[in-house]
Amino acid sequence: MLDGAMPGAALTEAQEGLWYAQRLDPGNPLFNTGHYLELRGPLDAEAFRAAVDGMVAEADALSFRITDGPAGVTQRADPALRPFLRWVDCTAEADPLEAARAAMARDMGTPLDPARGPLAAEMLFRLSPQHHLWYHRAHHLVLDGFGTELLMRRVAALYAARVTGSDPGPALAPFAAVLAEDADYRASPRRARDADHWRAAMADAPEVTGIGQGVALTARAVHRARAEISPEAAAALRRFTAAHDLAWPDVMTALLGAYVRRLTGEAESSIGITFMNRFGSTAARVPATLMNVLPLRIRFDEARPLREGMEDVAAQLAALRRHGRYRGEQLRRDLGRVGAGRRLHGPIVNIQPYHALPEFPGLTASLHLLGTGPVDDITFDLRGDSAAQALHLEVEANPTLHSAEETQAHVTRAAHFCAAALEAGSLATLPTATPEEARHFVHAVNATAHPVPDTTLVGLIEATLTARPEAEALVFEGRVLSYGELDRRSAALAGALAARGIGRGDIVAVALDRSFELIVALLGTLRAGAAYLPLDATHPAARNARILATARPRLTLAEAALPDGGAFLAPADWPQEGSAPAGPAPEDAAYVIYTSGSTGEPKGAVIEHRAIVNRLEWMRAHYGIGPDDRILQKTPATFDVSVWEFFLPLIAGAPMVIAAPGAHRDPTAIARLIRDQRVTTTHFVPAMLAAFLAHEAAQGLAMRRVFCSGEALTPQLRDRFHATMTAELHNLYGPTEAAVDVSYWDASRGDRSDPMPIGHPVWNTRLYVLDQALRPLPPGVTGDLFIAGVQLARGYLGLPERTAHAFVPDPFHPGQRMYRTGDLARFRADGAILYFGRADGQVKLRGQRIELGEIESSIAGFRGVRQARVIAREDRPGDKRLVAYLVPGEGYDAAALRGHVASRLPDYMLPSAFVTLDALPVNASGKLDQSALPRPDHAGSASRALATETERRVAALFAQALGVARIGAEDDFFALGGHSLLAVELMLGVQREFGRDPGLGALFEYPTVARLAALLDSTALPPPDDGLRPLIVLGRGEPARAPIFAVHPAGGIAWCYGGLARVLAPERTVFGVQSPALDPAVTPMESLEALAAEYADRVLAAAGPGPVNLLGWSVGGLIAQAMAVRLRELGREVGLLAMLDAYPSDAWRASPEPDDAAIYGALLNIAGHDPSLHPELPMQRGPVIDFLRRGGMPLGRLPEAALDGVVRVVEGNNRLVRAHRHRRYDGTILHFRAARDHVGRAISPGMWAPYAARLEVVHVPALHSAMLGEAAMGVILPVLRAQLARGEGSSG
Amino acid sequence: MAMTQERMRADLARVLRMPPEEIGDEEDLIDLGLDSMRAMALLTRWAEAGAPLELAAVAEKVTLGAWWALAQRAMSSRRDA
Repeated sequence: MLDGAMPGAALTEAQEGLWYAQRLDPGNPLFNTGHYLELRGPLDAEAFRAAVDGMVAEADALSFRITDGPAGVTQRADPALRPFLRWVDCTAEADPLEAARAAMARDMGTPLDPARGPLAAEMLFRLSPQHHLWYHRAHHLVLDGFGTELLMRRVAALYAARVTGSDPGPALAPFAAVLAEDADYRASPRRARDADHWRAAMADAPEVTGIGQGVALTARAVHRARAEISPEAAAALRRFTAAHDLAWPDVMTALLGAYVRRLTGEAESSIGITFMNRFGSTAARVPATLMNVLPLRIRFDEARPLREGMEDVAAQLAALRRHGRYRGEQLRRDLGRVGAGRRLHGPIVNIQPYHALPEFPGLTASLHLLGTGPVDDITFDLRGDSAAQALHLEVEANPTLHSAEETQAHVTRAAHFCAAALEAGSLATLPTATPEEARHFVHAVNATAHPVPDTTLVGLIEATLTARPEAEALVFEGRVLSYGELDRRSAALAGALAARGIGRGDIVAVALDRSFELIVALLGTLRAGAAYLPLDATHPAARNARILATARPRLTLAEAALPDGGAFLAPADWPQEGSAPAGPAPEDAAYVIYTSGSTGEPKGAVIEHRAIVNRLEWMRAHYGIGPDDRILQKTPATFDVSVWEFFLPLIAGAPMVIAAPGAHRDPTAIARLIRDQRVTTTHFVPAMLAAFLAHEAAQGLAMRRVFCSGEALTPQLRDRFHATMTAELHNLYGPTEAAVDVSYWDASRGDRSDPMPIGHPVWNTRLYVLDQALRPLPPGVTGDLFIAGVQLARGYLGLPERTAHAFVPDPFHPGQRMYRTGDLARFRADGAILYFGRADGQVKLRGQRIELGEIESSIAGFRGVRQARVIAREDRPGDKRLVAYLVPGEGYDAAALRGHVASRLPDYMLPSAFVTLDALPVNASGKLDQSALPRPDHAGSASRALATETERRVAALFAQALGVARIGAEDDFFALGGHSLLAVELMLGVQREFGRDPGLGALFEYPTVARLAALLDSTALPPPDDGLRPLIVLGRGEPARAPIFAVHPAGGIAWCYGGLARVLAPERTVFGVQSPALDPAVTPMESLEALAAEYADRVLAAAGPGPVNLLGWSVGGLIAQAMAVRLRELGREVGLLAMLDAYPSDAWRASPEPDDAAIYGALLNIAGHDPSLHPELPMQRGPVIDFLRRGGMPLGRLPEAALDGVVRVVEGNNRLVRAHRHRRYDGTILHFRAARDHVGRAISPGMWAPYAARLEVVHVPALHSAMLGEAAMGVILPVLRAQLARGEGSSG
Repeated sequence: MAMTQERMRADLARVLRMPPEEIGDEEDLIDLGLDSMRAMALLTRWAEAGAPLELAAVAEKVTLGAWWALAQRAMSSRRDA
């Protein structure tokens, strides 16, 4: 027995993983496992108490205390902590059951401190003399599911012995048996054999893809849902297992695994199998945590007979049981699958095939589970009896990755999937969606039938032309063309074309700049009955020539002949009078637009009148567009968005405002045209919209509606749109192959969707999300997007094979076609479709789907980058990395680019290397030649070799955390792609390896192997640095240059200056000045003067002899000013006093006291989140901290006490600021104003005028919250550098 | 049919696909290929035949000899009860 008198024991391998998980999140109550047993009948109270207390006396682990000391983590039993039964009488309560349940819920919801204990509790609630609840709860560190069952059985045996005199059986085994067994195994040859088995079994297993989006980390709550496996399915299971001599648990494991694999869309998935790890162990009867989770590969071919797949799984499970003693955590390390997102397995399948409660004589017992420990991702629990008569499925899911609705859907769907597979005896034809889901998502959401006139564009337009001949039809460069004029000129051109024998079935190329003539050419061609083919004379001549050669237009309408273009007719030669022929029929082609396919070879999509009429009539009716609208035409005719810009105005009778040639790239010109011409309706490609919104000209613009399409519209851009201008915003989606757009989503003010849907199908259109076998997928599962309905193109001009490949039979509407978009999508539960990028533009890395185009556009959008491509390289097998290749231009700044990209993309999308090239290599067809891209110079090569033993050990930890094979002594953790989450992992590793805890904050200051190793070697390790000390180093620079002291904003933490520091660091050291009151033991300052004086002393201790440079954002600016006054008083020179959008106390005295919303909003701001973008988040402690944790924010990892400190500092600073009276500083304030913010508020930098000798103001086009963002830094840093240089020049 | 050591041996032999005589009383059944899943199936069968064995008890020492001792004890306590 482990007793208080004995030295503590080390943790077992099984406990270690849980220990670190709970260390990362000590406030998480999910580590409590518990249940209650409902006992009905005459309970012998004394016998029951004796039974529970007898069990408690035997079960050592229930009285453990686990502490983290200099010798590592140890556990020991403390007799004072033994959880003897507590008796709670609820009979007097109004609702005894409710009272008992509430008490249990309170206890389950209270996080336990392993160092204090007690870690277990046993309670008996008496609801009535015939009705009792026995509640049991224990921390998962000391007890697993099997251990819990041991305790229950032991109590039952002891109770029965007392009541009936039966044999109570042997006592529970002492915990020492576990330690002995653990030690034996660690040293045994069996362990080496097991390791070999697992390494071989998993060597070629692919990376794990999750079924939810995001990184699997334990949250603080769990969703649960249940379903029964139907009796018919159970019967089918029995027949199947009997016929093939298989065990039912193995078959159900395989089927649940197959279900999981379907959701990942992969050929192979690894699931986790829980293994009780007791069989053949001397520790079999010890209540403890021994449970193990090991991977099972779901790799069988669904097309083969079901039996074969089941046999593969059964064989793997047999091997798993033989080698199941080996820890899954160790295997993960062996395989190098460490770091965020690099998992050993996805969802867990936990089968309990012999589930039975022990007997309590005279009582009927039923079990109610309250918690079974943390859930990283999603767990499928299946309980049944040995004969598979009744099977119950329960799904437990991490709310971070799965919603409650999704959890419920999984349990229902998985139960149906298993049943249907067993009944069909095959998986090959089984859809993942249930029949109800298939009906809904194939048919109900696509019920878009709507009457549309069976006519042509020409028919619709001619009605408008003749209805109001005098009305304004076109506006271009200050001139107006009436409908009558347009009618006359287009009819004349149509007549001329007809005279040349051009008519229905022919193609006329149009290569004209935006002008009246362009519209006349398009309309004249259509009225002649021909289809138009838009060309752009500025496109590469070779491309145009290829198009002309395949499309063979009868004539080109252009100012001049195109190379290889054949006959052309210039506008000067068009007749002004003449009459149009009969025109086209609905089934005739209206236009042919060429798109560049993934192969780079242009393909011409042929769109018929009927298709485009449907699209235009839908748009006109859906958005209510009429003669009082004015529509901007600015999209080049070669891009199909232009089609509605051209013809919707002519159908709706709305004047078309034509932008000057080239103006579509000029935000000023567009904004002027919109204002001057009172444009109501326009279109932007999202990238152009982003550029437009960033421009001054867009501020405050008002319109009726803006349409976006062409690429993904992000929620961030939507929000910026609504912050900048006033208009409805609509997100449209559609390929050229389906008449412009096939889906729509209203992204107007009030839309909070994230991610942003592409929405619902337009009239007479169906959208399907299907798997590779063209089976319908349920909501939440990504698959291929297909389009069917009236808008489909006829096909690709002259390319029957391509057409047949892309336009395939619609399996749900025999005789009709559907178009394979090549886009990935999924349904939301409400039927809205989410777009996930191109199927061929995606790579998978560490289980995350990544769209390379998204990374490329974020790099290409940065100043000084001329061209960028990103590829996934696998220079070492199994080590796939993203590498960015770019051609730098003027003003290229590698460090700033990294910062820019890091601020825009999630960690897993950041390239591990940026390689600059003079030009991107291309092959003969003009496409990127991937094979010619150089292998990046990954970490290690340029770095000094490892010299000391400590360096080698630290490098190994770096390698493990980063998943990088070669690490040099000078390699920087963050430069190698380390991020906050990995930093936590690394520092836990350091603690494990060295038994010393330098703290997470130390890594900021000692980010390289050599420096961290030196720190660890130093005899006097500084006190643990959690990054919260009053002065921290954010970046080290040249010692000769005077450092910058960046003063914390409201929250007291200065980490927000990390980005600034990383850019400035090579040249200059940046210190963060933080609030000492973050430490709860420190008494907060009484006044801002006193605080500034203390900070000034602290700064002087670290500053060199030169001038002191101060910088502060928000409240930090106020404090910096007070510090500057103080430093001058002390006779010190202040080189720089820079404020980032800070305003004096006078501005705040009148504003109301901050409430919770303000305080937790500030906390979010401190963590880098704009609270206004998270309206769904309640501004309360629990939800906000949970949010920060989920985002992997270091702030969310702070100990509870420090978070309390932050909240306290926010409140305190507010008080200090209000009470403060500024004194005059006899130097210059350099003020960076957030020019996008404070609209309508009476605050301005000028308020500082009384408090400084000089005031210089720089306007930064950013919001207050974004002043430390990369874009703002782009403005601020050059000014800052210049000012610092001036300061140094003057001082000597 | 009453539970006997020979019936246990025969059941094990069928599960392990080997002749009963090759299963010695002190032979480690795990070495012979038995795993927890198959053991649990046997326990269910034996419980129905009047010898209820606890998984935790059989897991501690996985030999036919140990199991038969447990079975005898279980059967005698049944008779006593």
